[in-house]
Amino acid sequence: MLTRLAGGHVIDPANGRDGIGDVWFCDGRIVVPPANGRADETYDATGMIVMAGAIDIHSHIAGSNENLGRLLLPEQRYAAFSHAGHAPISAGAWNTLETGWLYAAMGFTTVVEPAVLPHHALQAHLELADIPIIDKAALTVLGNDDFLLDLLRRREGGDAVRDYLAWTLATSRGLGIKAVNPGGAAAFKDNIRAFSLDDEVPEYGVSSRAIFKALQHAVQELHLPHPLHLHCNNLGLPGNVETALATIQAAEGLPLHLAHLQFYSYGKEGPRGFSSAASKLAEAVNAAANLTVDVGQVMFGQTVTISADVLRQFNARSGARPRKWIILDGDSNGAGIVPYAYRPNDFYNAVQWAAGLELFLLINDPWRVFFTTDHPNGAPFTAYPDILALLMDRDLRAQWMAKLPKEAMEVTTLPSIAREYTLNEVAIMTRTAPARLLGLKDRGHLGAGAIADIAAYAPVKDKAAMFRKAALVFKTGELVVRNGNVFSQPFGRALNVLPARERAIERRICDYYEDRYGLSADFMNVRDIAIGRPDPFETVPCLS
Amino acid sequence: MAGAWIRGKAASLEAATAQAAKLLRASRLPLIAGLGADVAGARAAVALAQKIGAVLDHMHSAALMRDLDVMRESGMMMTTPNEARLRADLLLLVGPGLVETWPEIATRLLESPGAKAKRRIVWLCPGQSGGELAARWKMDVVGEDPADLPIMLAILRARCAGHPVGSTAPHLQKIDTLASELPQARFGVAVWSAAQHDALTIEMLCGLVKDLNATTRFSSLPLAPADNAAAVQQVSGWMTGFPVRTGFARGYPEHDPWRFDAVRLVESGEADCALWISAYSPVAPPWKREVPIVALADGLDCFEQPPAVAISVGRPGSDHDSVEYLAATGTLASVAGRARTNAISVADAINGIGAALPTSSPC
Repeated sequence: MLTRLAGGHVIDPANGRDGIGDVWFCDGRIVVPPANGRADETYDATGMIVMAGAIDIHSHIAGSNENLGRLLLPEQRYAAFSHAGHAPISAGAWNTLETGWLYAAMGFTTVVEPAVLPHHALQAHLELADIPIIDKAALTVLGNDDFLLDLLRRREGGDAVRDYLAWTLATSRGLGIKAVNPGGAAAFKDNIRAFSLDDEVPEYGVSSRAIFKALQHAVQELHLPHPLHLHCNNLGLPGNVETALATIQAAEGLPLHLAHLQFYSYGKEGPRGFSSAASKLAEAVNAAANLTVDVGQVMFGQTVTISADVLRQFNARSGARPRKWIILDGDSNGAGIVPYAYRPNDFYNAVQWAAGLELFLLINDPWRVFFTTDHPNGAPFTAYPDILALLMDRDLRAQWMAKLPKEAMEVTTLPSIAREYTLNEVAIMTRTAPARLLGLKDRGHLGAGAIADIAAYAPVKDKAAMFRKAALVFKTGELVVRNGNVFSQPFGRALNVLPARERAIERRICDYYEDRYGLSADFMNVRDIAIGRPDPFETVPCLS
Repeated sequence: MAGAWIRGKAASLEAATAQAAKLLRASRLPLIAGLGADVAGARAAVALAQKIGAVLDHMHSAALMRDLDVMRESGMMMTTPNEARLRADLLLLVGPGLVETWPEIATRLLESPGAKAKRRIVWLCPGQSGGELAARWKMDVVGEDPADLPIMLAILRARCAGHPVGSTAPHLQKIDTLASELPQARFGVAVWSAAQHDALTIEMLCGLVKDLNATTRFSSLPLAPADNAAAVQQVSGWMTGFPVRTGFARGYPEHDPWRFDAVRLVESGEADCALWISAYSPVAPPWKREVPIVALADGLDCFEQPPAVAISVGRPGSDHDSVEYLAATGTLASVAGRARTNAISVADAINGIGAALPTSSPC
């Protein structure tokens, strides 16, 4: 079936398109227009903005930690029903079905769950498999696991670390490697309550810096498309911009992705000893071409923070709203689940909100800054349309700022920033650049051969409304959303990498599991057959 | 025993499936209960509930709900079986029923060749099977009568916090000793089975664990009930956003631990048909009132009256490969069928029933 999406304003930065034109696709792939110009079916996109399907590189949508959050907060669901529209954990986005529907309605077609613990990988993939429409991927979390820390304690060479990463990616079916406060969760088990870049994990004598550097190098040597995805130390603390700057220095020019940077952009200035240092941080990001970041924008409302940074979450427990929280000391990282309400009349929350927008607006390369709320930590992903509107409209930002505490705006540079994102920049940040960052050559653009993941938006004055409900969304060429409503519900796949490795590591890991846990390491293995859907995985090639 | 039956008479699988679909379709409020199923069976059950507007409940919900009640009222600090085994230098075993809930507790938790620290193990009110284990392991036992546990835990928490207590409190001397030991643990773990406690007792224990973390590390390991209850709870969580005791009568999931209690729904006459699933053990529903039952179970012997429809299903992890909750790891994991047969799985039986229903959704 040859389909023509006709007459829309096509914005496709990868292929240099930004004007009125058609997009043709057949059997799930974009094709060059046929010479005879005849289509089997045509959709009229006149007046619409046409982009590739959007890609979210960091959204906690699946896994045992997210599910604990669901079980902890049954009332969130009811809250969602009583606040239709801009709801917290909005209109669900809370079970797997609604997650798929709501993402698709916004024109998203690929979403990365960024924190899968190897021992819990099967559950994460089962949950991902039950999210309809979109394709998914998982980042595998290492950096607090005894096997790795032990390798580093023994000062073993990079080969063993590299092979261990490759094995873990293969069993957990990950698309990349993430480290969450490397060493911090392990140190917390030894009653350490603060842990920074050069602090050592007790008993191992290995610093956080050493762990992240070992992982960064191994990811590089494995030729993984996605660089190490790092959640730094000292998340959320006043003055932690220094940690972020030191981490950027420590990257030594090698590729590194810093997750939810907003949570590390705090200074100690101002009357309350808490200020936005986002402009300073943005400057450092601008100067470091090896670096990519996502923002982790905060939006006001009820949400829940879910993180494998157990140490940080334990220290944040007294701020829980409502007053209940879970701390799980896991086999490697664990979970900290702390419900939280960001309030517009709260000085600190207002600074956080402004700092995120400053990062978006002061990092001048849309290829290196990514669109996230660190769902659900800064806000549920359903807040994305509102954030896009804020980035594209300085008057709207001014309206919001007028309602926030004046003294909070005085410790940020946001009021002075005039920049407005163009649609082309939005397309780069939400489509083209994420595909490149993850090594997905056939996504994020509308050139021939790309997967026919397409979103068309009907422009209205309220840009948030435009992005909340796409007029048409195609997933692999199938119409899945019409006027913001889900039209059909195919199931996508999970993307993973399978880097080459020396087989010797397997024996060693299996012996380790038998010896340490009295268990076969096989329990971690995520097999296709266990997922219960046909053809559940797609392997993304490593860099050559 | 493979096969299918309609009112106790042998029938083809097709006929039994069609009859099951007919009964569920005619029902005003169908119930999907028991839920002793692997992950595939649970996913199929939730999908069917969504389709027919049914209520979901597990046969061990009472125990599941007690731990959950505490967790979602005040939160909880937990750890994994592996961490409890390898890291804990103090294990506080609480109340009876631990051996019954986790038969491998001795080999998986108490025996710990790789443990870092020399461990101290104390058991509060162990009950009979626990008492035998405690004697074999020469553990310190405090208290006998489980009825004393709530007050003992309250005293222990008060003493740990430095509060005075009345001198008539049971086992005060031993509890005082324990109260001086707990804060000295480097990584202590409290272990219990919710089948044996009320929610307030569990909340007291969890509160004690939180208090201890003001100065040291302490965590807890609530043991999961049988019949894959923990995995079914997880599936319900991700597919509906809620734990079990969730209903779809209004077309969207609603959770209410009282309203959607399977036994209450049947006894009150609200539910008029039940799909009863028990693939791990031959167990009949606990309610007394008669409603048409579609049974997916391991044989019929447990039923006093033959169910309206019965389909004999395979045991997950034995007759067929499965995904289940592993007590040893506290995770979902693949389990290879130990003695594979052709017996139909819960998932296939439910999907067959689903396929025999009309395709339009009820709302």
